[in-house]
Amino acid sequence: MVSIAEVEAHPRDFLDGSQAAHLTPVDRYLAEQQELTAVERFAQAHAAAELPLQARYYSSLLPAAPPGPGEQYAFEVDLDACSGCKACVVACNSLNGLDESETWRDVGLISGGSDQQPFQQHVTAACHHCLDPACLNVCPVRAYEKDEITGIVRHLDDQCIGCQYCVLACPYDVPKYNSQRGIVRKCDMCSNRLGIGEAPACVQSCPNSAIRITTVAREAAAEDCELGAFLPGAPDPRQTQPTTHYKTNRVFPRNALPADYYSVQPEHAHGPLVAMLVLTQLSVGAFAVEFAGQLLWPGAGLDATQGLQAGAALFLGLVALGASTLHLGRPHLAFRVVLGLKSSWLSREIVAFGAFALFAAIYAASIWGTAGGLLGAWQETCGAAVVGTGLAGILCSIMIYHCTGRALWTGPSTATRFLLTTALLGLSAALLTIVAAVAVTAPNAGQHDVTAIVAFLWRGIAFVSLAKLAFEASLFRHLWTRQHTPLKRTALLMTRDLAGAAKWRFALGIAGGLLLPAIWLSGDRETGATLTLCAAQFGLLLAGELFERYLFFTAVVAPRMPGGLRT
Amino acid sequence: MKLFERAGPLTQELRLAPGGFGLGQVLERERPDATTTMTCGYCSTGCGLSVHLRNGAAVGLTPATEYPVNLGMACPKGWEALEVLKAPDRAAVPLLRNDRGQLEPINWPTALRVFVARFRAIQAEYGNDAVAFLSTGQIMTEEMALLGALAKFGMGMIHGDGNTRQCMATSVVAYKQSFGFDAPPYTYADLEESDVLVFVGSNLCVAHPILWQRVLRNPHRPEIIVVDPRKTETAMQATDHFAIRPKSDLALFYGLARLLIERDWIDRDWVAAHTNSYKEFAAFVAPFTIERVASDTGIDADRIERLAQTIHEGRRVSFWWTMGVNQSYEGTRTAQSLVNLALLTGNIGRPGTGANSITGQCNAMGSRLFSNTTSLFGGRDFENADDRTEVARILEIDERRIPDQNSWAYPEIISGILKGKIKGLWVIATNPAHSWINQSQLGEILDRLEFLVVQDMYHTTETARRADLVLPAAAWGEKDGTFINSERRYGLAKKVARAPGVALADFSIFKLVAEAWGVGPMFRRWESPAATFQILKHLSRGRPCDITGIRDYQMLDDLGGVQWPFTAEQERATDGGATADPATHRRLFADGLFYHPDGRARFIFENPRPMPEPPTSAYPLLLLTGRGTAAQWHTQTRTNKSAVLRKLSPRNPYVELNPTDARRLGIAQNEPVLVESQRGSIAARAYVTPVVAAGQVFIPMHYETVNQLTDAVFDPYSRQPSYKACAVRVRRASACPP
Repeated sequence: MVSIAEVEAHPRDFLDGSQAAHLTPVDRYLAEQQELTAVERFAQAHAAAELPLQARYYSSLLPAAPPGPGEQYAFEVDLDACSGCKACVVACNSLNGLDESETWRDVGLISGGSDQQPFQQHVTAACHHCLDPACLNVCPVRAYEKDEITGIVRHLDDQCIGCQYCVLACPYDVPKYNSQRGIVRKCDMCSNRLGIGEAPACVQSCPNSAIRITTVAREAAAEDCELGAFLPGAPDPRQTQPTTHYKTNRVFPRNALPADYYSVQPEHAHGPLVAMLVLTQLSVGAFAVEFAGQLLWPGAGLDATQGLQAGAALFLGLVALGASTLHLGRPHLAFRVVLGLKSSWLSREIVAFGAFALFAAIYAASIWGTAGGLLGAWQETCGAAVVGTGLAGILCSIMIYHCTGRALWTGPSTATRFLLTTALLGLSAALLTIVAAVAVTAPNAGQHDVTAIVAFLWRGIAFVSLAKLAFEASLFRHLWTRQHTPLKRTALLMTRDLAGAAKWRFALGIAGGLLLPAIWLSGDRETGATLTLCAAQFGLLLAGELFERYLFFTAVVAPRMPGGLRT
Repeated sequence: MKLFERAGPLTQELRLAPGGFGLGQVLERERPDATTTMTCGYCSTGCGLSVHLRNGAAVGLTPATEYPVNLGMACPKGWEALEVLKAPDRAAVPLLRNDRGQLEPINWPTALRVFVARFRAIQAEYGNDAVAFLSTGQIMTEEMALLGALAKFGMGMIHGDGNTRQCMATSVVAYKQSFGFDAPPYTYADLEESDVLVFVGSNLCVAHPILWQRVLRNPHRPEIIVVDPRKTETAMQATDHFAIRPKSDLALFYGLARLLIERDWIDRDWVAAHTNSYKEFAAFVAPFTIERVASDTGIDADRIERLAQTIHEGRRVSFWWTMGVNQSYEGTRTAQSLVNLALLTGNIGRPGTGANSITGQCNAMGSRLFSNTTSLFGGRDFENADDRTEVARILEIDERRIPDQNSWAYPEIISGILKGKIKGLWVIATNPAHSWINQSQLGEILDRLEFLVVQDMYHTTETARRADLVLPAAAWGEKDGTFINSERRYGLAKKVARAPGVALADFSIFKLVAEAWGVGPMFRRWESPAATFQILKHLSRGRPCDITGIRDYQMLDDLGGVQWPFTAEQERATDGGATADPATHRRLFADGLFYHPDGRARFIFENPRPMPEPPTSAYPLLLLTGRGTAAQWHTQTRTNKSAVLRKLSPRNPYVELNPTDARRLGIAQNEPVLVESQRGSIAARAYVTPVVAAGQVFIPMHYETVNQLTDAVFDPYSRQPSYKACAVRVRRASACPP
């Protein structure tokens, strides 16, 4: 097939026929086809009109005066007038110059009722310009601001580093990540238009005048949210206090549900975050176990393994931090996260892990090289600092997910996951490095002590694995919940779309964390075989944790406004 | 690399600036240096779009604020009208199927040579009528006229029809028989002036959102009655919804007529003065007692009475219908049963009244007058010698070139292929391989053709993929011409974008075919769309659709379109349209004079017939089809090309299923299911909702597979397919053997 570009580049190749008689008319029509003369042929209307003609339709849909003290702008949607044409979505896309598939406004569908009184209602929604915007609260680079006068929550595109934390935090799925630009963008209520008295694109374009801008008293809007009644199937408004007001004279039937209520679809996997979380936890765990080993068994002949362990842990820690930058849309601007230290757990996480990497490097260097002498007595303190900053970093990681309010990611649950991963992979890495170091450097030195330690580690791995797998498997109990809770959806996802990943996760976890320890503890402890077993358990457990974290992201249920039917 | 950057290049990208031309703020990077208004090319509403131009080329569009149709609004399709022109699968070069069965690029002269050689060979072997054409309601009136003249007068074809057969053939026949001419009598302003609006089989909110906008502008707090088996978006907005059993509409309207007559709620004087056959009609409806109608429709008797009363009490009652009526095995009579109600109550010819068909495609109405398929140019009759003489005189052609027999309708052309009578087919801007009823059979039928030419803007339509020769066509926005909308308004579309590759306007392609066929001189006067418009004016002179008062394209542009009729006399009376009012909103029959020779309208009626394929124990559910969302157009060849439109509707087929049926069948919400009829089996997702009644299911027509299920049954008068009633069964996909 010839491409359009090719034909356009060489149109004559497609003209030169053998019958010269036809050449002339074809040529003429082709030339004519490319001439654009509408401007010359038709009179120009409104050439001098400076003021927007559409104002005649929308002026009554705008507030008469800007918000006073304690007030702000808000969308008001007249549900009785919304007939579901979705012109607002496309007009917003078109008038604001968004990318072809980018939408800042969406229209969902709620249906229900009975055979006698069937019910369906389309629901248009954009940013709710919340009183307590989660996007703003979590942003590590202060790329959001809530205008003091208008209350509009604006995103500063040029300040954004593309971490997408706001995407995870907003309960209404409002900020949209634009991978081409590496930033997030969102509705700003067309603040530039509003500022000069023009209506936002959606307000201008609704054939039924169903969307208007009103001024609302912030306190009253907050009170409205306290009732928890926003829209059937919409996330709890108490979380961020959205200001959009949906008004209707109809009564929603009690079984009114969003059309996408029962559809469950995996969320984005966030590969770099999967790698970053698992590897930071591995690294911190390895340091912690090594550090604990020094305290528990001083002089147990572990010195030889120390260097290997610290070096490997440092290397993986650095890989983790490298992976995390891959997650950013604009990694070169990552330094801006220092702006968010006061408010954003993401900023704190990055700083904590940065400090961790620094201390870890010093610590590792002190063990590896002659630098050890330089640190001297400080080496232990430095080790403590490594572990301390690492654990602080993991705490920040936990808080990042906790703050999204997603059911799967609540603090206790995420803490259990992340800390058990830290312990498990820390023990696992320690086991491998000790056995490897013994095999390579000093096969006979302190054999007895090391065997005891190795046995301890195998037992520890089995114990932690059992705890972690049991914790994760306990999610499936939600399959029997009668309500369609977010955790039930997560469980459903793990038995349907994500069943493959879930099987791998448990198979790897059981093989590496239960089967191999059982084999070692019950049988042959010859060094060569031990090394193979240790390498295998480390590989299996690491892979298992990567699958676990993949499910952590994909099986989570992201809250959103009522959506349309998904097929 | 600043620590804090409030505004930089990314902010700049979306910066707005005053657009001028009354547009308000526009994207700074797309600021126009001129604007021009043109009619949208999707549906029959015929909205005006203000196209933003830079150096003559379109850079964007907004709905035209002052256009009398849409008053500054547009539906999603209109907003995205330019975007779909840029699709990578635009047909940019002629394609010919080679020996290996692949479509291969060729140049225009070769394409034309092959076109002529193959069709001429078929005609030489099997006769002239062995080559036929299937056209569309999507190209300009001038193009349709040139195609009709070229095919029939130039190339000697007898049979040609349009996809308009699928959309409004029923209304055409209904109006012709009832009024004496195919003349939808209304103007959109009537939507704002009624105090009772009755919508039948019309989901206006989704199918014609801009007309719904006009309903909402009605200041008279109207009663809005919706008659539809489903609780559609429009039914939700109604003041009263009558969820009748599918295909019981005819009985309902006869029953209402009986009630109105019985209670003497009719306009006797008007009926006596302006109609025929009232007595026969009154006698005919007598057996349609309220009990019978209640039993047929499933609507309580007292509600039917109340409806009659509402119609009686309304001072300006209008009746509107769309595909729920047209696409039926007895659609013509159903449309006429609504005409009868309007005639009985004298609700015609006055503001806010009428028996009003809302058409589908942007130029269905153009095809009704000037496609030269079902009727000879200007609503004339091929079988009428005087009509032929007149047309021959106006077009300065030999009268013997005008066929003296009627064309086969679409279904007959298809069965003609099956029977081996039609061997060559020219398909223009339509996609029967998706849209025609009983699709699997159609696929086999198309394969029997010796030569299939598809002329389209995309080379990827289901039909183009089967073609032997693909002719690349310029699209709406890349050519000039007029559309006629549902309210009879001529609107102008303009060339504001460059066609890809060597694609040509359909008009130019027809001219080139004429040259290649050796009949070029016959179309010497058809020099351009604008020149052809002048020919159409001549053809309309003295006809009910007289447009001799429309001077030229500029006048259409200045006035925001003009409704037919607009005679030279009217033009003089309104000062060339300068006094805009008469040119802006006009309705027919204010004088009570209809187009039959006696000037009277007819009551036309016939007993309802049983549904051709009622549900059985094997196929217990009734399948309804219809429009899914306002963001989808027909077979989605265009709307699928816009990323934002794609987001606005479910991507894959779904079937609406009532909760009672779902429970009985053990089908959960969103579960994959199979929908099966005697003709096919398709995969879909279940959407369990009481919006569709128990015993019925609904699938949007936009999904390619749906017509594998539908049954090829037609209205006997209009030959329009009955898409909206066939028996199916639904079962869980997982419960089926692989």
